Amino acid sequence: MADGTSKRMLKTVIEPNGKNSQYWKDIWRYRELALNLAKRDITVRYKQTIIGLGWSVINPVVNMFIMSFIFGNVANLASDGDAPYSIMVYAGIIPWTLFSKNFTLASSTFISSAGLMKKVYFPRIIAPIGASLAALIDSAISYAVLLLIILVSYFSSGFVPSWRLLLVPVFALLPIGLGFFTGLFLSPYNIRFRDLKQVLPFLIQIGQYVTPVAYSFTVAVEAVPDQYQFLYSLNPIAGVINAIRWCIIPTNAFHWPSFIAAIIVTLVFIPLGIKAFRKGERTFVDLV
Amino acid sequence: MNKNDDRPVVISVKNVGKKYIIKNIKKYPIDGTKFDKFKFRINKYSKSDFWALKDISFEVREGDRLAIVGRNGAGKSTLLKLITRITEPTEGSIEYYGIIAAMLEVGTGFNPELTGRENVYLNGAILGMSKEDVDKRFDGIVEFSEVGQFIDTPVKRYSSGMKVRLAFAVASTLDPDILIVDEVLSVGDMKFREKCLNRMSDIAKSGKTILCVSHVMNIVRGLCNRAIVLDHGKMIYDGEVEEAIDMYNGIHKINRLDHRELSGLPRTEGYFCDKLVLQTVDILDNPECVFYWNEPIRFTFRTKALVDIKDINLRVRFARNNGAPAATAFVEMNEAFSAGEMRDITICINKHNLAPGDYQVSLTLTRGSVFDNFDNIDSIEPDAFSVTILNVGTDNKKQMDDDASRMWLDFWGRSRIMDVTSESATVE
Repeated sequence: MADGTSKRMLKTVIEPNGKNSQYWKDIWRYRELALNLAKRDITVRYKQTIIGLGWSVINPVVNMFIMSFIFGNVANLASDGDAPYSIMVYAGIIPWTLFSKNFTLASSTFISSAGLMKKVYFPRIIAPIGASLAALIDSAISYAVLLLIILVSYFSSGFVPSWRLLLVPVFALLPIGLGFFTGLFLSPYNIRFRDLKQVLPFLIQIGQYVTPVAYSFTVAVEAVPDQYQFLYSLNPIAGVINAIRWCIIPTNAFHWPSFIAAIIVTLVFIPLGIKAFRKGERTFVDLV
Repeated sequence: MNKNDDRPVVISVKNVGKKYIIKNIKKYPIDGTKFDKFKFRINKYSKSDFWALKDISFEVREGDRLAIVGRNGAGKSTLLKLITRITEPTEGSIEYYGIIAAMLEVGTGFNPELTGRENVYLNGAILGMSKEDVDKRFDGIVEFSEVGQFIDTPVKRYSSGMKVRLAFAVASTLDPDILIVDEVLSVGDMKFREKCLNRMSDIAKSGKTILCVSHVMNIVRGLCNRAIVLDHGKMIYDGEVEEAIDMYNGIHKINRLDHRELSGLPRTEGYFCDKLVLQTVDILDNPECVFYWNEPIRFTFRTKALVDIKDINLRVRFARNNGAPAATAFVEMNEAFSAGEMRDITICINKHNLAPGDYQVSLTLTRGSVFDNFDNIDSIEPDAFSVTILNVGTDNKKQMDDDASRMWLDFWGRSRIMDVTSESATVE
């Protein structure tokens, strides 16, 4: 048997049960596809809109105004230190949006890209990566807007942010990872049990109120009965939000327990999420 | 095929099987106990295994152009899905060398909101091309697709033909080591289909390894040099294309295109078939009923006479699928029948001059003159059978002598006028 081609050409072996030695190499080979999918998502989202990417600004800003009016003015909750309430809220919206977007996109990836996955091979994880990249653009814009808001409040109320502001992009990796990998973990179940499609947005909505997005973490902990306070502070997303707020508001102390909880949960879900996803990708074409 | 072949093996499929689990609704336990009925309410389904493919083994060598033929549901597409890694086998293994690219359904991944240009790049990326690859080929893609100035218009405003042309243009510029083609050639209008076929036969001539699934046997003939036949998930033949096609036609008999039972069909108004009845029609030499331009169309129809009758003639009318008549042949057979007699009559339409397209053919038996003063005997409309007239030359054997007729636009009408001469004289 002449096997001469093996020397110059890549050999691929397809076997049952997802044995695939070059999965990760393939991902690198298809990196351009992830960028293309992200580009598609963004272009399509703002086709035939007049202000285009401006919507990425309007959405969080309006949210910020409403939340700070209701929680800061109507409910009259305290802010963190001397930071304006709106800045504290906005500092919560950024990580929350990163988490919830990544979670939603990753968990629904098999359904939203079924059309493509059923026709063409590419490492399936490219699809959620592409979607996540597209969501990242929005958050990058939000971050730029945050800097603007801080500048405005510097002139209007004399608020001076911490130098740690520059660390926000680093800490932003945490909500991305947390949302992405927990989403991946649920993605195969999303095919089998379409109920999840109804349940998850609902959970996200509840999560936003349970998590200190629109109010201060300190206020929330004080409101919780003593014996549950520690439990409450283990909310990993609260940990992420605390960390981001610590970056911006100079008087905030770093809250270790919730931060460590966030790190642990993320680290646990990285292998769990990838494993579940890879298991799901093998059979989902036959199920969708 | 040949064990002593020294071309390297590029795909090797070993004992591959693919199992699906299907749910069936159980029978309701009418006579069962209450508990049985309760069980039925909880779980109405029983599961059973279904092997879409079982024990498939074959090797493809570099430069092979392998056709996979079989009826619908034979497992052809499943096999391609396994080879292209869209889904994984339940057992067995597949090995291949190099890069496989599939021209599966044309237009997969096209986004209607994006412009033609954006879609070309996206589609290229989906098919595994890099941006530079697409850059290099971009002008060629636009030219081949004939989309022209609309390249920067959102694809949702394209006609369906434009969409398909653009998609095929992208896919056909793929340059993988192994190319997989699944029924993509049945797209677009006749003229474009022909262009696709030509492009495909160019690729075939270039010595690339091709795997192809098609129901159109002429495409298989023109494109491939080897074929395997699948039936109910099993491979029943591996070898010569013509043999495989014969075998495929054998399996296909249940639902043949080239044989129609006419006795049960409704008759044209005013025809009572109480004297002479059309019974069956068989299209000869061409099981797919696809004919090249001006290739003779031969068919045999069986008639049964209920009474003594003579001076029977035939009208054969070709109509477009929308019902618009395209052409009619009058056959002065002057046949005579005695009561109870069955007769097969073979008609050969040597030169029909019909433009490429799909036609429904109606048969009408009359008594007396063909043109006027005839009695209605029997008639089947709109179609006793259908034919497709093709206008391509992928296969030398079938290539028509007239190359100028390779393109046909719809607004030119339905028949091509032949034998036209011209004379010119300079006026002083």
